[in-house]
Amino acid sequence: MSRVQLKLALLGLLCLLSIAAALTFGPVDISPQQLLTCFTATCPTPVIDMVVYQVRVPRILVGLVAGMGLAIAGAILQNTTRNPLADPYLFGIVSGAGLGATIASITLANLLTLALPLAAFLGALFAVMIVVLIAKALQRMEQLLLAGVAVSFMLSAISQFLLYLGEPFATNRVLFWLMGSLARVELANFYVIAAVLVFALVVILGFHRHIDALLLGDESAASLGVDADKLRLMMLALCAALTATIVAYCGGIGFVGLMIPHIVRQLLGVTTIPLILGSMLVGGSFILWVDVIARTALENAEIPIGIITSATGSIFFLLIMYRTRKN
Amino acid sequence: MKWYGILIRKASLVITLAAALLTAVSATARPQEGPRENTGLPRIIALAPHIVEMLYDVGAGGQIIGTTDFADYPEQAKDIPSIGNYVRLQLEKVITLQPDLIIAWKSGNPSDDLARLRQLGFEIVYSEPKTFSDIAKELRRFADLSGHSEQGQQVADDFLKQLEKIKESYRDKQSVTAFYELWSRPLTTVAKGSWPQQHLNICGAKNPFEQVSSPYPQVNIEQVLKTQIQLIIQPLSQNQKDREGFNWRDWPTIQAVKENNILTPDADALHRMTRRSLQALDKLCSDIDKVRRSYLSGI
Repeated sequence: MSRVQLKLALLGLLCLLSIAAALTFGPVDISPQQLLTCFTATCPTPVIDMVVYQVRVPRILVGLVAGMGLAIAGAILQNTTRNPLADPYLFGIVSGAGLGATIASITLANLLTLALPLAAFLGALFAVMIVVLIAKALQRMEQLLLAGVAVSFMLSAISQFLLYLGEPFATNRVLFWLMGSLARVELANFYVIAAVLVFALVVILGFHRHIDALLLGDESAASLGVDADKLRLMMLALCAALTATIVAYCGGIGFVGLMIPHIVRQLLGVTTIPLILGSMLVGGSFILWVDVIARTALENAEIPIGIITSATGSIFFLLIMYRTRKN
Repeated sequence: MKWYGILIRKASLVITLAAALLTAVSATARPQEGPRENTGLPRIIALAPHIVEMLYDVGAGGQIIGTTDFADYPEQAKDIPSIGNYVRLQLEKVITLQPDLIIAWKSGNPSDDLARLRQLGFEIVYSEPKTFSDIAKELRRFADLSGHSEQGQQVADDFLKQLEKIKESYRDKQSVTAFYELWSRPLTTVAKGSWPQQHLNICGAKNPFEQVSSPYPQVNIEQVLKTQIQLIIQPLSQNQKDREGFNWRDWPTIQAVKENNILTPDADALHRMTRRSLQALDKLCSDIDKVRRSYLSGI
């Protein structure tokens, strides 16, 4: 077993322990013994059964795949654009989802359960399409990120104006939705996110050598027969679909895609396969623990998860900037 | 690539091990909060301060087993366990409480949490009072749902009688131009479709911003200076001790400021859609009437 494999095995163990631990946290006290009976036989009471199977298990499973998806989307975007600050959210995905959510909140207030995730998903994809079209029109794919930031601002402005005109409660709904949460998820969401995640993994593993070649620079990649722009677009489309699916169900969980791959690079290096696997395991574990904080930090309330990820993420962001200054 | 597969194959084994490890950690269980009363009547979770207040009005206060933050009236309501706020509800707590009925506020509660609760099989009814007469309707409905029909009828009838009396008293009064300061930074007022606009209509106060398309528009002080404001209504809330009202003293050219006609009613009583809002309405109307009389007598 090489060092990288050993580290990955340890990360895998961490992830499994996180899953088991996350099951034990929540406003309702359920002892580990009771939990074990739930999984080996039947739960002690119907209430515990409902809490475990209808609240905690879906939350943990969705949190796991959401964390994994966001982290690998960040890792792939950073590797293909060779930009340490690339993150799926910088391509306008969240502001697009926010615009979708805003329009749904104002026009379809009575069908929100169905309409909001769908509208958010479409909004996110719409944003990425606009970003790509702009970058293509400029004929400079390396300016994708800048185009993304500009589009983010534009879409946010449209959302804010619509909310300004609309009723105040719609503003609250959208604002809180954008803060992100795993409270609203159900098991069906897990299957959808997991399916997209598996598809993304298959594609990434299929192209992992091409992505590694991109790390050497566009010219070197071209000499190895890799079309850099095409690969970048394909990976962006993949990451957009993955992130948009996660945002649609969980709202805006910021900064995971940015910070997790950097931590994993310190541990496992930049090569695609270990980076992807490591990012998945660390990202999944990270979200599980953040959600534990969200569920248990306050006695009678939940903290939206996006607040916690963004707070830790922004400190991390500053640390990266500080390190790059020194190098 | 073989070792990736081996890792995955070992996953199930390790999960079992991890769970077994955790069983070694004994968790001390707090005693769960049980129902506050066992009367055979439905046990209710009320997800807004105005719903809690109305349930107390019809005699069902003792059946409330959970509510959201800020339910502070009547005094006993402060002892009801809280199960969340307007951002998030704690689903686990709701499940543990096993309510027979959840009364939710459609526009003020997180709709995704309510959707989850409905999926889990809880009965949810919505409260959405838009006018004073809706309050009477909801009092009746909540009374029927909680098993206090008779008291509910009585309370609702009294409410409508009082409302009619207030409307009657101020029906043909000469109108006073009033500016309603809902919020100071940014300066926000009310317009048609908002809750306080009804108060102004009933008390015979004319709102120069009534026709603005948004129900709670932000306004620029210049727009206020342009209109002839005879009275400023500046509701202040108990919950916002630190909230400063707009500093009208800086604008002595406004007639209301010059004459010192600035009313500061209790915002909680005025804005909460319950029986109490009628007393607040009555007081506001009589205060507005004092201002009206001062103008009529030419002071």
